[in-house]
Amino acid sequence: MKISQQIISNLKKGGADFFLSVPCKLLANMITILETDNDIYYSAIPREEEGMGICAGAYLGNKLPCIMMQNTGIGNSVNSIVSLLQLYQMPVVFLISYRGTSGEPVGAQGGMAKVTEEILQTLRIPILHCSSENDLDKISTFTAHAKVIENPVAILCDFNLMKED
Amino acid sequence: MNRFELLNLLQDTLQDNLVICNIGLPSQELYKINDRPNYFYMLGSMGLSSSIGLGLSLSIDKNVISIDGDGSVLMNMNTLATIGNRAPNNYTLLIVDNGSYGSTGDQKTFTNEKTSLKEVALGAGCQNVIECSGKETPDNLKKALADKNNSYVIISKISSGNVPIKPIPLNAITIRDRFRKSIGLVSYL
Repeated sequence: MKISQQIISNLKKGGADFFLSVPCKLLANMITILETDNDIYYSAIPREEEGMGICAGAYLGNKLPCIMMQNTGIGNSVNSIVSLLQLYQMPVVFLISYRGTSGEPVGAQGGMAKVTEEILQTLRIPILHCSSENDLDKISTFTAHAKVIENPVAILCDFNLMKED
Repeated sequence: MNRFELLNLLQDTLQDNLVICNIGLPSQELYKINDRPNYFYMLGSMGLSSSIGLGLSLSIDKNVISIDGDGSVLMNMNTLATIGNRAPNNYTLLIVDNGSYGSTGDQKTFTNEKTSLKEVALGAGCQNVIECSGKETPDNLKKALADKNNSYVIISKISSGNVPIKPIPLNAITIRDRFRKSIGLVSYL
């Protein structure tokens, strides 16, 4: 719970005030925290691509949106990232549980893990890779950076970082 | 009545509201009929008009209308569940249901066969779902906007068919900036 608390508090410190999630067990604690946080808007949603659309609308309404999802969700969202968020230069923070990294028990998650960073690089999305607690302090500046560059940014949280939380 | 005629008929109701308009011909027709800074024209991401409008309506108090098509709703049907459970009272989804993928050459959609978007929307949890003719649509949209206690899904059943039209000569950032300015939340633009 401590790591999840730090991540949420740093996202909020960076200006994120509108949160969506598509579930992952590594995000479960963050979801629990957000469900009772009255400072921000939070909802679960069924699919990531739809979330990109909702985030675009929230940005038009002057929010800094954050969508929480597994790395598989990036695969579901590529066109909406390029043809909506990037076309209109909309800042959105992707908080991604990096399934398939070291410690992952589900073999099938390895596939998306192998291509996640390359997809993000191809999309020219800046990445903050969090593999230990020391990395979490960088989240607030990185979140605010999305607004400065008017582009999505991606925060990858390793399996081993989240599993003990 | 086709989409162009419906959009013409709706101008009195639409023009002072924030409108998110579906990609392709719907946006191009709306632009041709009555270009407004408070109209957000989608240039990509088919299927997401309903979702963009939902995100905006959750962030501000003003009325927001998403104009979507049957083909686009079929592409992003899960968002009807999000709308059914989360749409605030200032949100209206207007589905222009002409039974065809107009922008890609009028191929038929499943609403021509067995699929009822009204039943889908009701099953997804949307409480106020109105299916009506094109002619009845302006009054129903007015009613939806005047009701401060409910969100609405309006399915306007019209004929397929398009008018000759050109792409919108505005770039995405222009559309974005003038739309945000028209909401009144940002002063620096």
